[in-house]
Amino acid sequence: MKKIFVYTLGLAAVFSACQKGPINSLNTPIVSEVIVNPTKSDLFNLATGAESGMRTSLGTYLDAISIIGRETYRFSGSEPRWTTDIMGGGTKALDNNTFYLTNPWANRYQVMRQCFILLESLKTTRDEIATDKQRKAFSGYAKTLIGYQLLLNFTMTYTNGIRVPVAIGEAQGPIITDPAAALAAISKFLDDGKADLTGSEVIFPLSDGFQGFKSAAGLIKFNRAIAARVYAYRQQWAEVLTALNESFFDLNGKFNDGIYHTYSTSGGDQTNPLYLQLNSTGEVRVAQPRFAAEITPGDDRINKTALRNQPASSGGLTGNRDLTLWPSLNAPITIIRNEELVLLYAEAKVQLNLLPDAIVALNRIRLGHNVSVIPTTPTPTQASLITEMLTQRRYSLFAEGHRWVDLRRYNLLSTLPKDRPDDDVWTMFPLPQSETAK
Amino acid sequence: MLLPKSSVLVLLCLCSSLALLAQQNLTGKIRDAASGTPIPGATIRVPGSTRGAISDAGGNYTLSIPSGTSRLTVSFTGYKTQNVAVPPGAATLNVALEEDFAKLDEIVVTGLATNIKRSNLANAVATISGKELTGVAPAQTFDAALSGKIPGALITANSGAPGGGISVKLRGITSVFGNSQPLYVVDGVFFNNSSIPAGLNDVTGAATAGNPNNQDNPSSRIADLNPEDIENIEILKGASAAALYGAKAAAGVINITTKRGKAGKSKVTFNQEVGFVKARHLLGVRKFTPETAADMGGSASDPDPDVIANRARLKGLYETAKAAGKLYDYEKELYGRTGLLLNTGVSLSGGSEKTTFYLGANRRQEEGIVKNTGYFNNSVRLNIDHKLTDRISIGVTTNYINSSADRGLTNNDNNGVSYGVALSTTPEFVELHPNELGEYPRNGFASSNPLETRDKMINNENTNRFVGGTNLDFRLQQSDHSTTKLVVRAGVDYFNLKTMAIFPRDLQFEEKGQQGHSIQGNTNNTNTNLAGFLANTFTPNERLTLVSTLGATLETGSLDNLVTTATNLVNRQTNVDASGNTATRQFRQKYRDNGIFVQEDLSFLDAFTLSAGVRFDRSTNNGDYQKYYVFPKGAFSWNITKMKFWQADKVDNLKLRIAYGQSGNVPPYGSKFTGMLGSNIGGNAGILVDNLQGNPDIKPERQTELETGLDFTLFNGRVGLEASYYNKRIYDVLLLHALPASSGYALEWKNAGDLTNQGVELGLSIVPVNTPAVKWTSNINWWFNRSKVTKLVIPPYSIGAFGNSLGTFYLEEGQPATQIKGTVGTELKLIGNAEPKFQMSFYNEVTFLKNLSLRFLIHWKNGGNNINLSQLLSDGGFTSPDYDDLIDGKKAGQYRPNAGDAGVYVQSAAYVRIREIGLYYNVPLKNNNVVKGLRLGISANNFFTWTKYAGYDPEVSNFGSNTLTTAQSRGSNGLSTGVDVMPFPASKRASFHLGIDF
Repeated sequence: MKKIFVYTLGLAAVFSACQKGPINSLNTPIVSEVIVNPTKSDLFNLATGAESGMRTSLGTYLDAISIIGRETYRFSGSEPRWTTDIMGGGTKALDNNTFYLTNPWANRYQVMRQCFILLESLKTTRDEIATDKQRKAFSGYAKTLIGYQLLLNFTMTYTNGIRVPVAIGEAQGPIITDPAAALAAISKFLDDGKADLTGSEVIFPLSDGFQGFKSAAGLIKFNRAIAARVYAYRQQWAEVLTALNESFFDLNGKFNDGIYHTYSTSGGDQTNPLYLQLNSTGEVRVAQPRFAAEITPGDDRINKTALRNQPASSGGLTGNRDLTLWPSLNAPITIIRNEELVLLYAEAKVQLNLLPDAIVALNRIRLGHNVSVIPTTPTPTQASLITEMLTQRRYSLFAEGHRWVDLRRYNLLSTLPKDRPDDDVWTMFPLPQSETAK
Repeated sequence: MLLPKSSVLVLLCLCSSLALLAQQNLTGKIRDAASGTPIPGATIRVPGSTRGAISDAGGNYTLSIPSGTSRLTVSFTGYKTQNVAVPPGAATLNVALEEDFAKLDEIVVTGLATNIKRSNLANAVATISGKELTGVAPAQTFDAALSGKIPGALITANSGAPGGGISVKLRGITSVFGNSQPLYVVDGVFFNNSSIPAGLNDVTGAATAGNPNNQDNPSSRIADLNPEDIENIEILKGASAAALYGAKAAAGVINITTKRGKAGKSKVTFNQEVGFVKARHLLGVRKFTPETAADMGGSASDPDPDVIANRARLKGLYETAKAAGKLYDYEKELYGRTGLLLNTGVSLSGGSEKTTFYLGANRRQEEGIVKNTGYFNNSVRLNIDHKLTDRISIGVTTNYINSSADRGLTNNDNNGVSYGVALSTTPEFVELHPNELGEYPRNGFASSNPLETRDKMINNENTNRFVGGTNLDFRLQQSDHSTTKLVVRAGVDYFNLKTMAIFPRDLQFEEKGQQGHSIQGNTNNTNTNLAGFLANTFTPNERLTLVSTLGATLETGSLDNLVTTATNLVNRQTNVDASGNTATRQFRQKYRDNGIFVQEDLSFLDAFTLSAGVRFDRSTNNGDYQKYYVFPKGAFSWNITKMKFWQADKVDNLKLRIAYGQSGNVPPYGSKFTGMLGSNIGGNAGILVDNLQGNPDIKPERQTELETGLDFTLFNGRVGLEASYYNKRIYDVLLLHALPASSGYALEWKNAGDLTNQGVELGLSIVPVNTPAVKWTSNINWWFNRSKVTKLVIPPYSIGAFGNSLGTFYLEEGQPATQIKGTVGTELKLIGNAEPKFQMSFYNEVTFLKNLSLRFLIHWKNGGNNINLSQLLSDGGFTSPDYDDLIDGKKAGQYRPNAGDAGVYVQSAAYVRIREIGLYYNVPLKNNNVVKGLRLGISANNFFTWTKYAGYDPEVSNFGSNTLTTAQSRGSNGLSTGVDVMPFPASKRASFHLGIDF
């Protein structure tokens, strides 16, 4: 028995010698590490990740709402739902648990969560890492992104509601179905962001999509541009003008000045998800035929599309113009640009019944696109200028995620064409199943 | 050291010469009692001594026995062990062995260091002999060869691609997001069975939209194992039997024993198989008319001039093609190849009293049903057993494997590039064939020309693998009533997997896109397992035996997966540096599990067997890596026929049994962390919070299984029935559950509910005819499982497939875990269940005149639904073969996708299949010294199937079964089999066999 005892001991010794502590995360940093006493690199990485994360599923989002707004068709051999569910083909309806809704929805909230992680980590950031002024730039940037990301989700689910994201450790709030309340919450994030950015100092890197807006002053301009859009959605027209004044709005500036998502084929970066080669087959994105049919002759915005060699058809739909907005895998996608700001200016002026100012702005758009000025006879009315403004928005902001939202704002969704007898024009997406599950 | 050793030798010599003085020589022949054929390899032993002999090829033996020996024990695998009396002074003794039809004397490894006779076993342990595995109609890979052979299992081939990919689920749903596949143990070595994706998703974008799970569908690494090396397989189906294997065994254990050498004359065996492979079933293609071709361009009533022009163009295309006789069946061109299969095996075995060896080498080479696909496996095995001394024996197993699979590009994709997705929108009247310069036309109906893709791409998995193990048995102490042994077992499984996916820049979908992909992956994986046991057998008297075991185990694993994707390739070159852009991903994982157990087995009168044990387990994957979880087990069996009062001699075995056990299933690696994933933009390095929230408190699932059963055999084993009922409950089920995405996290790891699986397994074995001329044995198995979610502490949610409108697996309290729900009208309704109603298998072997034998296996799976999205895609692409059939007055291809009923594509996947059928002939040889045996045979594998399922094959899974989850991609879950999205069509095979023994 003594022998056995010795062997047992020996065996135990062999095994115990092998034990060496926990096995930590080998592949990624983990949240609990970066959230307390972050280093400067941690903060930079978080800020960059938030900018980068805004691009995830953006292609899906823009496709979905451009199709519902009858700006484009998306034909895909592998994904028939772009022509069935999204357009209400047959008896199909929008699914509350599939990619075109759940992916963009979740990814926007993911960025908001990221921003809250950044905000949380700022609480324990020592002055040697970032001064108070520098920390304010981080928090202002984070809050601005939260506001913008929440706005995109609001555009999808509208009166089905959104949830206002909360800080780490706080319980989730209710679904807010009142659009006014939802938009007020979005404005609040933007206003808080602006307050933080004011007098702050930006030390973190931003991509060249923020070229010209990388300083605190630049970020405030970006913040206010988004705020102007939100005020327009809230029909607070005077506030639209105030916000525009603090933004990079320039009535005579270049239409394309603004802030973008950049893409590249470099390692670890993302490529433009909307890029499709011209005349591609199988995977096709074409303009809804009325885009070309209803455009003013000579309007250079026709060049946002290009005639295909062969029309493309799928599911009883046909289109013959490819989109040229994103000509390569490196092409940027707009976040907000001056052309929209000019149109927001026009819209606010029309709504405030300051028609001459509105006409100036709308003519600026028209002339900028090789279209003659608004005829003076019959005399433009507020109503006719609203129609005109919506038309210019349709062509100026084509496939950038506005048409469907605009027509919903003006209660004009019923004017959108139904290409097939059983099609539907949806007013909003359902709330994702994960939000409603009990 | 030299001196003592030689003195031992001297002693041994002395002893044997002393013994020589008082012994007699005995010779004889061992035969089969029914047929009279000689039995080679039988063991003849003098009870209570180490003296013994083994019969030769002709069944003859010679043994010197001490004079006065009154009895001999004669045993051979598959036959009943006999104690025969030795008449005093006898010089010859012939023994006829009776076949053990009911396998009552079979020894089953129940513990890690202890065995038990089948007649006393408390669990229904299925065994598959090497002959049953490969002796009827060999399958391509080891895992495919298990199909239909394990009662209680649901075995599904995920893909028909060369190299396979098989899901094995024992007794229902063991885990939803944890490991659901059994543990494979080969000669004591834990054999890694992961499936590691090649990064095809970079080309297909399959996981970028409808479902984030990886859909590369790689092969399972268990496929590397050479089935020809296998002697025997034991399947421990649940915790009650497998508890001692610890945390890796919750989904059951497939315990594989490979062939060993036998002392005696060396034996050389050569086996050659030549055959062909063909698609099991092709769907056909839609036959167009000028009108239906035009309809692809839009409705005939549409006034839009574009539509009118497009209709005219398509009609023209069709008519031109038809006039030129150029309507093609592209499905047949892609999947219609007849592939050649060659399988060569050589083995050499033999040895002396002290050392035996088995050396086996095998080469399997097989062409796929798609050009440029195929499978190639080379394997060498050397097993050596050596008796160091009377007390110490050591066994070493080594196996080197090189396997290579070219798997083509199939399954779901979002870019229209996989063969099937491209085919689904390609009508018969388009020209895809290359011109005389070898240039492929662009396919105007899809993103890719599938013929071009097939001819130019590479998707290869190449594995180099070494598996080695050592088993040391040391008898520490032996006395009249007690034996104590120490067993140490160590194993290592190392493999390097090189994956290579090449898509040259001139492919249709590459030339204006990313301009070529070269995706090269390198994975190094090492698993080790080390275990030590002390086992004491105490026999105070004849009636009672007590076996006490104390053991400790340690398993470690380390995986490093590095994938580089190069795009914008330099022409004619595939190296990743010959490119414009590269991106590299790395994923590593490590674990360390260890356990300690004690077990006590009691056997009384050889009729009562009682066993109890407890195991303590911990793992670095658990939230608390230092905490030991406790898993008890207990078992009882009563073999009534061994009681003295038992008189009914027609019933030769009757046993009642009950077993209970618990086991854990450790959480997947990394589930306790919330990661920050790399996310760069514009050259700035960034990290983005993962949408999967880790759980620092994650703990193992706990499985408890109760199994009870009744076994009996009648008429000398001619009729045997094994009936089992089990109730397997899984507590604290590991779920990757959906959070309200507005929290910023879409998913969270949580121990969030309970599951049960209940089922019945019936196995009937009969020998209807047993005469020297004809012998017929038959095994019928019938089994079913019902799974149910008994508790869910989170809201019900969808866990698989592609969203509600197309049918999704849906976890809901009180409902089967495998239910499929989908949108019908505007409501989410139950539309199917993936679980079969029952399964049945029917194995027969009929031998005529000793030498001609017919073997076949029929497998019936009744019920179980698939989600057939291949049909959805074909409908959407106007190409379903039945597109023009009418349903409710509408064309089927238009009716189905617009029905607003997800149930349309949820279809029955029931089938009856002749899995294997083979006819073999042992050529009777005149006595000669060169060739000892010659076998000829023909076989067919999966050749005949009856099913109403409208896809290539009812066995299919777009998501694989155990695909690796990395930081950036989600692997498969335990449920999502049966989702059919343009799979690699399943194949059937027929072969000619030649076997020679020297």
